[in-house]
Amino acid sequence: MAGAVPQTTAPAGPTTPVAARRLVPERDVALLLGPCVLYLIAFSLFPLLYSLYISFTDLRAADSTGSFIGLGNYAELLSDEFFWNATFNTAVMVGAAVSIQVILGTALALFFNLHLRGSWFVRGALILPMLLTPIVVGVMWRALLNPDWGIVNWGMELVGVDPPNWLGSTEWAIRTLILVDVWQWTPFVFLIVFARLQVLPRDVFEAAQVDGAGRLGMLSRITLPLLMPAITFAAIFRAIDAFRSFDLVYGLSYGGPARATTTLSFLAFQNGFQFQNYGYAAATAYVMVIMLIVATTVLLRRIAVRRTDAP
Amino acid sequence: MIRRLERGAAYVLLAVIAILGFAPFIYLLVLSGKRRIQILAEVPPSLDFDWEVVARNYSEVIQSQGMLGFALNSAIVVGTATIISLVIAVPAAYAFSRLRFRGSNTWASTILSFRFMPPVAVAIPIFLMVRSVGLGNSYPGLILPYVAFTLPLIVWIMIGFFDEIPREIDDAALVDGCGRVEVLWRVLLPLARPGMIVAAIFGAIFIWNEFLVALYVVNSRGLQTVTLGAATLVSAQRPIDWNIAATVGIVTVIPIFLFSLFIQRYIVRGITSGAVR
Repeated sequence: MAGAVPQTTAPAGPTTPVAARRLVPERDVALLLGPCVLYLIAFSLFPLLYSLYISFTDLRAADSTGSFIGLGNYAELLSDEFFWNATFNTAVMVGAAVSIQVILGTALALFFNLHLRGSWFVRGALILPMLLTPIVVGVMWRALLNPDWGIVNWGMELVGVDPPNWLGSTEWAIRTLILVDVWQWTPFVFLIVFARLQVLPRDVFEAAQVDGAGRLGMLSRITLPLLMPAITFAAIFRAIDAFRSFDLVYGLSYGGPARATTTLSFLAFQNGFQFQNYGYAAATAYVMVIMLIVATTVLLRRIAVRRTDAP
Repeated sequence: MIRRLERGAAYVLLAVIAILGFAPFIYLLVLSGKRRIQILAEVPPSLDFDWEVVARNYSEVIQSQGMLGFALNSAIVVGTATIISLVIAVPAAYAFSRLRFRGSNTWASTILSFRFMPPVAVAIPIFLMVRSVGLGNSYPGLILPYVAFTLPLIVWIMIGFFDEIPREIDDAALVDGCGRVEVLWRVLLPLARPGMIVAAIFGAIFIWNEFLVALYVVNSRGLQTVTLGAATLVSAQRPIDWNIAATVGIVTVIPIFLFSLFIQRYIVRGITSGAVR
């Protein structure tokens, strides 16, 4: 009679516990994933939606309710020159900082790939800047670049270069912000590209050498194309983080002088914390969220930051 | 000859990189051992120190300005939030790494996308939320949002570590009659310990450095975290005593410095799996 048993029931028999468990893991999934999902709904998703609601009101710190004003805050933003100034500053800062970091970080990775004796120590030390509190990084560079007694100006004058007014002029303050961001975050690009460089297949390079490829030809035709996924990954991460960054501006220049270093994050902070205008601050921040969502759907579709693609 | 020149140039370049990376810390360290007047008068600062001045600066920052108390607050908040975050994130990462279920990729990318959320977009609602349940200006008022901030990071790092453990190991345990949860607890967690250390340290550094939410939630000096305390002591808004500011910087950085030495060999893994902040 065994032959009469329908085939479809066979795999679910007690003799194949592993397969059976793989087929019905819903309860297990809920148990393992539930706390994480619920927590994020309560403390990330809900605040994010709450923030959207606040952005449609004229809520201020002083009163507890605020009334619904629809798109009023957004309309005001569009005609707010401070908003456009901050958008421009953010674009300049993100664009310049990330491009420089990508170029320097890749160059550093290629350089450390020479594996000079003792270079592992410098490589390890390069990790420190990106772990530092941005507030402290800001203070550190304010000391280094101090116009009266800072050691950078002293060094420049020693070799006969006229130091710029690093943080005092509107022209230079944004460049200084970019410079400091580059100091702190170039190691991030470097580490990711370097890690990728260590796992590139050697035989490709050997074959190219046999074919008589020169050093530059190998670099531009083989190494860089192979590194491209890692470089793109690092660039996108850096772009998003630079776009969101707030603490460095707070610690280095407090948005000044004359709003020359006020980025979108800093503007949202000022509108909310300093001017206590929660509705307007939420709208400012939400424009950032929208920009981020648009940017990440466009960018991430191109490189799909799934775990399998991470270098 | 040319090769030797090239090698020499490469070492010069290495030295320059080392100086660019290190010198700012050394400079801050030197400034932290000077009197206010000396910083203005000695350019560049000399390297002989009056140890009494050094002691005075550090005791001023650690005791009079309350850095010790701030560090204690930070330790409580960082420790609690990191542990809660690990407890919630590790099972989730395990599920993403091992179980085949409908929508698993969508769930994973949704959770991970919270890593990119701008803190300014949620600081105000979080502040209003914790205040409305009476947790404004309290440890839980900081810990609850910090757990949410670090969850995506820790899930992300842990997925990578779980993926590296061969599946055959869980299959063997499952055949032996263990349940899923038991497999995770008894078999995989011991194997994933290095991953949990990396994840915990990156989570901890993130929380140690967090500033914006603390600025909203904390409104008494007694509850300030290290970063918040440092920020109020060295704010870019007003003139500051540079010897004190430098000392604050050094005191804030030391724990991170020690951490980074301790995790040297894991840290690249953490960063390359998309970590930091």
